[in-house]
Amino acid sequence: MGTVADKPRLTLRTRRGGPTRKTRGAQSKRASRTGALLVSPAVVLVVAFVLFPLGYAVYISLTNWPLLGPYHFVGLANYKELIHDSGFKHSVVFTLTYTAIVTPPIFIVGYGLAALLRANRFGAKLFRTIFFLPFVVGLSTVSFIFEIELQPNSGGVDFILSKLGIVSDAHTWTVHETSALIAISVIVVWFASGLTMLILTGGMQGIPAELYEAADVDGASWWAKEWRITLPMLRRSIALALIISVIGSFLAFNQFYILAQNNVGLETVVEWIYQTAFTRFQVGYATAMALCLVVVIALVTMFQFVLLRDDTEL
Amino acid sequence: MTEVATYYEDVAAAPAPAPAARRRRRGAGFWVYLGVATSLAVVFVLPIIWAILRSFQPARLSSLAPQSADFTQMTFSNYRAVSHGQYDILPNLLNSVIVGLGTALLTTVVATLAGYGLAKFRFRGSGIVFGIILLALMIPFQAVLTPLYLELSDLHLTNNLLGLILVYSTFNLPFGVFVMRNTFQQVPQELVESARVDGAGFMFTLVRVMRPLIVPGLATCAMYAFLYAWTELLQAVTFVQSPEKLTLPAKLYEVTTSTYGSINNAYLSAGVVIAMVPCVILYFALQRYYVQGMMSGAVKG
Repeated sequence: MGTVADKPRLTLRTRRGGPTRKTRGAQSKRASRTGALLVSPAVVLVVAFVLFPLGYAVYISLTNWPLLGPYHFVGLANYKELIHDSGFKHSVVFTLTYTAIVTPPIFIVGYGLAALLRANRFGAKLFRTIFFLPFVVGLSTVSFIFEIELQPNSGGVDFILSKLGIVSDAHTWTVHETSALIAISVIVVWFASGLTMLILTGGMQGIPAELYEAADVDGASWWAKEWRITLPMLRRSIALALIISVIGSFLAFNQFYILAQNNVGLETVVEWIYQTAFTRFQVGYATAMALCLVVVIALVTMFQFVLLRDDTEL
Repeated sequence: MTEVATYYEDVAAAPAPAPAARRRRRGAGFWVYLGVATSLAVVFVLPIIWAILRSFQPARLSSLAPQSADFTQMTFSNYRAVSHGQYDILPNLLNSVIVGLGTALLTTVVATLAGYGLAKFRFRGSGIVFGIILLALMIPFQAVLTPLYLELSDLHLTNNLLGLILVYSTFNLPFGVFVMRNTFQQVPQELVESARVDGAGFMFTLVRVMRPLIVPGLATCAMYAFLYAWTELLQAVTFVQSPEKLTLPAKLYEVTTSTYGSINNAYLSAGVVIAMVPCVILYFALQRYYVQGMMSGAVKG
């Protein structure tokens, strides 16, 4: 992610690292062939399974392709239909809502964890390891864990919440729309804030200690230091953490597919595309939706590149 | 790119201050810090510990409210149940191992070659290659799910573990190529030159001369590819339908949807722990590479 920031340096380094001018000629020709040969497997795979499908998608989206059987060209009809499709629109609004709900807590918790461990006090390394553990386990496995623990009566969530006096009776968490969304959001914050912590920690370690020392001399408060030093210096890391988190939410699938199986109304865009293609068999229509998603993701990624460019190297 | 990662590593790995110095600094603030961090650690680790304990709970108790007496009846019966007979998940576990290792191997080999080529050779079109890989980074697989399905279907690669390996490897390549390219850029050019002067071919140089220097990159690349393949669900349920070919997460999903009755929980809980084990082991064993990879994939590139 965010590789554009690296691009100028790549060119520079490749030139410097490559054969010198003296050795050009026959040798350079051979090196050139070797270089092309070395990258060719990667290029073949990317062309075969990313670029070709992307082009194919444009074609499919202009047809009424069912999963099986004949199809014909329908022009832009799929795209026109999209605008009036309440089901698709609902999934878009739902995905945006979900993104708006989880992004701030993931960031705040991740920032808090990074700030808490910033001084590398006793046990910081162990705590970092633990806070990142949910992410390591993977969202599919995490969702299966909570599939068991969110069940009424037998699940651990109800058990702990009732012991703490937060809920008094059994909740069928995943059945109701609001409670399912709350439960999934809390799980995702628990899952993803470790990643934000790690990205911000990387940024924080790069801030010169002298800045804080100078602020201490001036008698700056903790808030003033965070606000005036940490946040501005972390601009790149913060942008990156937020964008990774936003893209992750836009593409959410596992947690809703597993935890909100029978909950109509909790379909994310990706889930809606999947269902349109593989349970309603409207492959052409689903592909039109997917291409809209590509455009949105590409825009967000480009926005990321703009945000991460310009300023000085960390 | 790795300055930050290295810095982070150095700081994180810095030895604790000498006991005397530490004791002096342990004021009230330290205990508040330790208390807060420990409570948070409990919140973060509890669901995982809970899931492990749950897997040793007898099936007949798993649909009842948890109670302390459960600890006296711990059993391996759930693991026995998922390792043979009707609810056997061992074939799926094997599928996941094959797909995971296959993806790790293919991604690492292809990314190493490409990283070597991009970092150490000048050739026409290298800019285009870079652009193509950059583009692949911007296209999430979710967005090309339907054309990929049709393509794999035409190639007879649906219901096929090789199909999964090819697709998983491709979507891991952008990250892998960047990691390997950065790794090769840190290999001194003099080393490459002197190997060439000594008459070594480019493959000999790669395998015999540079290998020790690129091992960290290889480990990062292989580990990320493996973990991706091990936990991926959407492509696994889209490209594979026949029950005996499902990977572990896809099989566990099937368990949640099917009507095994109250014993669902018991099977699922054992399956979840089996799914978790390689992730946790790799994380603890290769934590250095894990964090470095995260940083190289995140902070700079």
